[in-house]
Parts: sequence; C-alpha cells; structure tokens
Amino acid sequence: MIIMKEKLERIDSFQWRLPKAVRPGMRVDAKVIASARMLDAIEEEAVQQLTNVAMLPGVVSPVIAMPDAHWGYGLPVGSVAAFDADEGIISAGLCGFDINCGINLIRTNLTVDDIRERKKEIIDTLFRKVPVGVGAKGTLRLSRAELDEVLTSGLAWAKKEGYATDDDLAHTEEGGRMAGADPSMVSDLAKERGLPQLGTLGAGNHFLELQAVDSLYDPAQAEAWGIAKEGQVMIMLHCGSRGLGHQVATDYLKVQERAVQKYGITLPDKQLACAPVQSEEGQRFFAAMQAAVNFSFANRQVMTSWIRESFAKVFDSPWEELDLSTVYGICHNVIKHEEHTVDGEKRKLYVHRKGATRSFPKTPVIIAGSMGTSSHLLVGTEEAMRTSFGSSAHGAGRAMSRHAAIASFRGDMIAKELERRGIISRAPSPKSLAEEAPEAYKDVDEVIASVHGAGISRKVARLVPVGVVKG
Amino acid sequence: MKYRIIDDLTSDVMFEAYGKDAKELFENAATALFSVICDIGSVADEQAREFAVEGKDERELMMNWLAALIASVDIDEMFYSQFTVEKITPTSLRAVCAGESITPGKGGTVVKAVTNHQFAMGTEGGRRFVRATLDI
Repeated sequence: MIIMKEKLERIDSFQWRLPKAVRPGMRVDAKVIASARMLDAIEEEAVQQLTNVAMLPGVVSPVIAMPDAHWGYGLPVGSVAAFDADEGIISAGLCGFDINCGINLIRTNLTVDDIRERKKEIIDTLFRKVPVGVGAKGTLRLSRAELDEVLTSGLAWAKKEGYATDDDLAHTEEGGRMAGADPSMVSDLAKERGLPQLGTLGAGNHFLELQAVDSLYDPAQAEAWGIAKEGQVMIMLHCGSRGLGHQVATDYLKVQERAVQKYGITLPDKQLACAPVQSEEGQRFFAAMQAAVNFSFANRQVMTSWIRESFAKVFDSPWEELDLSTVYGICHNVIKHEEHTVDGEKRKLYVHRKGATRSFPKTPVIIAGSMGTSSHLLVGTEEAMRTSFGSSAHGAGRAMSRHAAIASFRGDMIAKELERRGIISRAPSPKSLAEEAPEAYKDVDEVIASVHGAGISRKVARLVPVGVVKG
Repeated sequence: MKYRIIDDLTSDVMFEAYGKDAKELFENAATALFSVICDIGSVADEQAREFAVEGKDERELMMNWLAALIASVDIDEMFYSQFTVEKITPTSLRAVCAGESITPGKGGTVVKAVTNHQFAMGTEGGRRFVRATLDI
C-alpha cells in the first residue's frame, strides 16, 4: 500500500498538498493544514481517508484535514469536504454521529479575583443545575408537538419559552435555526431518544468550563465581542444533539447504504455511504439533519439559561448585571449549503464540516482545548474563504484511546492534579475524568499556531480553565 | 473469555465478543457494549425489559440488537447488566435484559452508535465471534 503521508508536498510551513495523481480514482487533491509537528501526529489512516473522500462524485478540490484531525468514521474528525450542489453527494458519515456538536461561549463582567473565593460554590451549583453523564435525565419533559417545534425552530422556540434573548439569536450560527428543518423526516425512535434529553450535557468529551482570559492577542476584536481584559471570567459549554442526533445519523446511514446501490455510486470505503444531494434520500437527510441541528442549538441554549440562573443565585444578582451574554454559539459537526468562489467562479456547495468550525470573515471561531488546558477564541478570515471553504479547526484532537486513558490514569488523581493547579473539577464518575485526561489529547496551542499560521483564522484571546464540570 | 476491548482506535472503541453459539454470542456482545456505557459490575438486575429485534441476516440482526440497546439507554433511562436471549434465528431474536434505572455515578461514556468499521462475524476455533466498533 502507498504511504500517503510520504506523498504530501509542502506548500508552506502550514499547508501540505496531496495531489490527485497519487491514487487512481481521486477526482481532486487533498490538503492537510498543520505545522510539521501536528502533521507528524496525524495518523496515516486519516490521510488515507482523505483520498477516499476525494473519489466521491461531485467533490470539490481540495478535501481538507485540519491540524486536529484524527481517524474517524469514513472521514477524519477534523476535516472539511465540499460537494457540488447539483452533481455532488451528501453523507451522514461525513457530518458525524453527533450532529451540531458545538460550543456556546458566554462572557461575564467578573474577574478571577471576583470568583476566587466562590469558585467551588459556582462549580457545585452548575453541577447540580445542569444534568451531566451517560443517560443524564433532563428536567424538561416535552410533548411530541413541543419537540417538533424545537426541531423546526431551534432558538426561536427557546426565545418563546424564555430561555433565550434576541441577543442570543444574533450571536449564534444561523441565528440558532436552520430553516430547512423538517421534523417529519426525523424517525419516531430519534424523537423518543430526544424527548427526555433536551437540556442535558451528555458525557464523553462534553463539558462545561469556567475559564479566565489569559492572553489578549487582538484587544480591539476582543473588545468588540465584549471581552475587555485579561482575567475576565468566561464560560464555555460543549455538547451536541444527544441521542436524537445520534439516531438521525444512524437512521440515514442505513438509507444512504441503500442509496449507494440504487444510484450505482462506487465507494472506495463502505463507510462513505451517501446519496446524490438532489435525490429524495439526500434532501430527506438534509432536512432531518437540520432538525437535529436545531435541537442542539436549543439544547445548549436551555443549559445556557441554567448557567445564568446559577450565577444569579451565587452572586445574588440578575444575570444581566453580571453580563452573562453569548459571545457566540458555533457548530462543529454540520453540513451547510453555502456559496464559495472556486477557481474564480461562484458555486453553490454542500460543505461537510466534521470536527471543523465555520471561519467566515469577522465571525468568531471557538476552539476548545482538552480538560485542564487552554481554549481559544479566534476570528474568521478571507484567507479561510480562499483556502478551506471558510473553515477552521475545532479542538485538540485525541492522541490516546479512551481505553488506554482509563488504563493509564485515575480519575481521582486527575481531580487532585487539577485542584493543585487551581482548577475545581466535578464529574459524575471518576472514569469520565480519566478518559478525558489532558495527556490523552494533542497540544491545542500547536493547533492554534497552525490555523493562525495558515491564516484560516486569527488569534483573538486565549482562555484557561479555572473550573470544569465533565459529562 | 466473554469479550475483550481492542485498543486500536483513538476516538472510538472496538470490541470482540465470543460465544459457543449464537445465543451466547449475542448475550456477550451486549455485555461488552454495556461495559463501555457503564460500570456494569455495579449495576443490579432489579428491572427487566423485553426486546424483539429483526434483521435481514445475522450481521444486521447483531447491528440492530446493539442499536436497540443503545437507544434504550436514552429512552428507558436504564443501565443493563444481565442479558438473556430466549429465542434466536438468523433474522430475529427475543431477549430479556435486566438492569437498573440510571445512576450517573455508575456511568461510563455515551455510545452514539455501532458502526460498520471493521465489523466482522464468524467462527474461529469452533467458537463464534463478532468484532464491532462503537462511535463514542
């Protein structure tokens, strides 16, 4: 077998091209955006997966891996693949099982000094208020009709119910609602899974973190987003569409496996099940995916309102006076119908971002680090529009399996080490801390250096954790 | 050995489960799944739920069995520890699973789905095996 990593050609310090000539059947080039050190950390299998996707019908050059890329189902987690809106395909596997896994970043007007003595109280209050862990039981119980409204309306539902403000909608990707959502395309089983889970964090790598601004790289841009000084307290919420989104992906993978047969699509890897984007199967999936995206927007917003209530309780002050405003809410597992300029020509594309963040000029890009390490706020760029279909990285990327992490680390020891560094942690079980040990991830600062160096997003602020609630 | 976790994937979890026949194989695959989802050794068998699953062949039956159990964690808010396949054919099974209502402290990690990645079923050395990957 050809070692694809050996075939990568250096474009510059942060970009590497894999020409389509390296493998028969590739319709377009692949590209890796990473420093040399991050490139070393990307598995050969992940680069092979890029070449598989580069063979799919209607794919637009190039298929891109971000610096945090690691092997995933069909396409690496940390990738972008764009397809022509008429001739291309759409694929559940290229979106990821956790549809609209994403982040809400919330600011406060508090400083680390203001919370020093109350950190434990804040984290304990959040841990009680926000349901976390496997199968966490939500406190909301929706009717089927209400759930359909969530799926159709996303944050518009949240606003109507008092969980969101106009300002939240204005500071969320898509305004917190993808308009093409159709609840009738979501199976009863997916809805049954979603009903008890609105307003729950889940587990795995999902978290709620209390952070402090550690460095301001672009004070003017930061100030425009309400971030005025180092030491300012921020809150980062990372989670997705829970069982509802997982079931939508599972359901439509089966539909797309049949569509591959029906439409005679040749696949280099069975995991790349897909449907022609304009086929009935393709558009049904797109409508269902948008419904799951809206569910996830609402899920994060409900928890955001509980975060506000928690702060109001601890500080005995309305949340508005503490300025718990949404800096931005972003998706990092999503498919979008967007217009991009390709070879000087404007084209409509279906951009699959799997573990990748939208990076449009002047919009916030939020990249989470691993537990106990830094996270970053960046701004999107014109260069991203030219280079990466307006996309950037999404996180640190795993370097060690969960099983190995559980075998190597003890949750109670990790909690003690975090506490020694001034970080209060709470988790439903020690195992959930162990599997997310900081050592199990790549170096997020090097991910940031890569996307900043490549110009696909620009550093604004570095955030460091002071408290964490793990799912 | 009922099952083993194969430490091969950075983000997902692969396991192999074994059995002397289809009944035991499906029971042990379920045990492997719940060893990832929860601390299965501490989960009591105080509530039971019946499952009836179908598939066009044994491979699809296994995928659908594991998918039904994953969905039940969300819908029924249960962790399971005991699995009894009462009747099985290559295209259908009926089983009773026993466990307890979810306690977050007994949780492991969320399994989003069972996937096709390196999925295999067969017979080796006179015993049945399945290899499956869980998306985490």
